[in-house]
Amino acid sequence: MSDAESELTAPPLNPPLHNTSAPRDMEPTGADLDKLRKWQEERITRKLRGEYQSAVLRLAEVVNENIDSPLRLASVRVEGTPHTRKSFLGSLVNPYLHSEQAPETLGSVLHNARAIGHLLNETDLYTTVFAKVERSRDPLAHPNGVELVFKTREKPRMFLKTSTEIGNNEGGASATCRLRNAFGGAETFEANLSFGTTTRVAFNAALSAPLAALTGNLNTRGEVSIFGLERDNTFYCSAMEGVRGLKAVVRNGTLRSGLHEVGYEGVLRHIGNLQPTASVSMREAAGQSIKSSVFHAWTRDTRDDSLYGTRGYLLKAFHEFAGLGGNTSFYKSEGQAQFARPLLPGLTVSLSAKAGLLLSVSEKPLLFPDRFQLGGPSSVRMFKTNSMGPRDGSDSLGGDVYWTAGLSLISDIPKKPHWPVKLHGFINAGRLDCVDQSKPLQDSLISTLSKPSISAGLGIVYRLEPVRVEMNFGLPLVAAKNEGARKGFQLGIGLEFL
Amino acid sequence: MANTSLFTIPEPIRHLFSRFPLHTYPPTTAPYHTPRITEPTLWVHPPRSHLSKYSKQLASEPEGHENKARELDDVLSSDVECLKWQAYLALRNLGQKVTVRWDVSADGGVDGRLPNLHVQIDPNSKGIEAGIKDDGEGELLAAHLIPEWVDGKVGDVGALEGYVDEAARDESRAWVSLLEGNVHAALLAFEPQSHTLFSLLMPYQATTSRSIESVLPTPPAPLTGWSTLFRPYGTRLDLPSIEFKYKDAIAALSDRLGTDRWFLGSSAPTALDALAFAYLHTILDSKSETLRFEVSRRVNLVAWEQRVSRDVKNAFKLYTRS
Repeated sequence: MSDAESELTAPPLNPPLHNTSAPRDMEPTGADLDKLRKWQEERITRKLRGEYQSAVLRLAEVVNENIDSPLRLASVRVEGTPHTRKSFLGSLVNPYLHSEQAPETLGSVLHNARAIGHLLNETDLYTTVFAKVERSRDPLAHPNGVELVFKTREKPRMFLKTSTEIGNNEGGASATCRLRNAFGGAETFEANLSFGTTTRVAFNAALSAPLAALTGNLNTRGEVSIFGLERDNTFYCSAMEGVRGLKAVVRNGTLRSGLHEVGYEGVLRHIGNLQPTASVSMREAAGQSIKSSVFHAWTRDTRDDSLYGTRGYLLKAFHEFAGLGGNTSFYKSEGQAQFARPLLPGLTVSLSAKAGLLLSVSEKPLLFPDRFQLGGPSSVRMFKTNSMGPRDGSDSLGGDVYWTAGLSLISDIPKKPHWPVKLHGFINAGRLDCVDQSKPLQDSLISTLSKPSISAGLGIVYRLEPVRVEMNFGLPLVAAKNEGARKGFQLGIGLEFL
Repeated sequence: MANTSLFTIPEPIRHLFSRFPLHTYPPTTAPYHTPRITEPTLWVHPPRSHLSKYSKQLASEPEGHENKARELDDVLSSDVECLKWQAYLALRNLGQKVTVRWDVSADGGVDGRLPNLHVQIDPNSKGIEAGIKDDGEGELLAAHLIPEWVDGKVGDVGALEGYVDEAARDESRAWVSLLEGNVHAALLAFEPQSHTLFSLLMPYQATTSRSIESVLPTPPAPLTGWSTLFRPYGTRLDLPSIEFKYKDAIAALSDRLGTDRWFLGSSAPTALDALAFAYLHTILDSKSETLRFEVSRRVNLVAWEQRVSRDVKNAFKLYTRS
């Protein structure tokens, strides 16, 4: 048969045609063409949806009926991955391919397809991932052997960004370069350079990679980075601080379930360029020092919003041990907790607390860059930034032990609950102190806890993505002499607040 | 001042603010706070025996206990600029021992340089008279302010500056220029600098007293020629010429001192003696054989340096944090 004969052709239309429309279709009259077109589109969509639903139902029926039929996963093929290493994909797929799962059925194959698809999506390398089950092409394959085929499309590898930012009470400009899938194993290389008002210049270059070959999943990532910054600290200690360092971290988990970080940090710190008015205590603290430390951090954040959460909690713990070389040795521990919950419709209460302890583990004194600083709009409000604790003239010398606690009430503006501006009332307390080596530690802690500096006030909070802006009016109620109290208005811009 | 009046806080609010904080604790105390200054303290670069590398070398030597004693005894700075002022303070005879400390980095000095003299605030100073409360922190004087402070303590040296006559005073200027020029240049050129890989990688280098380019009378040529592909870099030092001038200067210095007690025939030590001592001591303590040999072969210079060295050492005591 020739092609022309085999082709199906519609019978010719012979007008006049019969009207086949039924009244239940509620077809509009031909006078209003727009209405008619809309009606037609809706009818087609309805028909398609119906067809799709019935197809899904039919497919589900087929799958469910054959869910226990024996099927053997012979191979997995991932297509559209020109920049991804085979060994990396192998480390993700192999655990499913060679599992001694018995009996192997259609159900287990589909489960594996979902799990592998999920893993591929988790690598953040692909814009689309589609899975197909095909009969195995391998002539030596088992008669029931099937092949899982994933059709993917890789995301762009290079990302460049320049921006101007405001955050943590400073403004600046930055340039970021990110290279995704740098070596074909979902490695990310990121370099960042920024210039700002307080942090004059900062750079950071980090290479992170999933440790899939070791763990078989993407939950654990390793990161090595080098960083440096020049920070203008003249407003609280009459000196500039320079930092150059390298860091290696292994991260596991997620913020919601608990994120662990274990790492090593080697940092060269430099306190210099002192102002002529710098105190003698600060002059004694000047110079360079090297910190070589190991640390562990754990964070769990279940809040619905990190800027002003209305429910959930944030828990953080941090431990650091320095003294593996370098010229400082200490043990540092910090903990933070924040709980938020709605009190009444439109009114949220947030309770937060933070504490830290720094102990010397050798004869070496604790150095200025390692000590804690306290106070400021994102710390204990109505005190100037880093103005609490021991001071020499106008310079804050830092302390070894601190605690802070804050109670905030955040409410919607009456009749305007959708506005990003909220009303805010707070009471903050805290103290930064030094551990008296001549007394038991317990006595120092009790003394620190029993003399809190307290402040209270009212204000407004504004969400200016990605930061939170606060304008408060408040007063310090209790303070230690020489602490930099701030009376009246105080503006705070930052990511984390007490 | 129209602008400031705009932001003046109304009186009722000012009155309200003055009541806060409602309760005030005593100031937080810290061991990091500098203790009250009780006696003049000179901040200098550490003596050679306290430089970490040199200390290790001493400790590894068999006569460890002798070296330890030397280390405790050594209060003279390894930096010639600091030593000049140490000798100056010692030779001006303050009538009390000056405390010396080298645990403060040069970054902590005024303008990032040492030496500095940390002294109590003079109760007759203008600030104190104007009612400013002395917090016991004292004041830190840069090197160039030290003579004025010493004059205030022991009296002015007079127009002749301690020299026998005007001619000697004028001659002293030439000797100062010779020591700070030719001798200093030789010190910088021949004293080997310890450049470890680590120190080269350090982004924060301590401020050196003076570069050799600023000491030489004519600026040295760059290390790379103007016709090369590289941009001009480094300095090409004419070492034989520097050495020749240095030898000449030391010979002249030795001849001029002769068997006198002090330079230029002065009856008491002068600023020139302090300067000459600083250079001679640094040269005799130097690792460079070329530098050391020229001085050590001249008996009068060595004997003079040893005598003055004892006086200078006796004028200082070590700093201890109370």
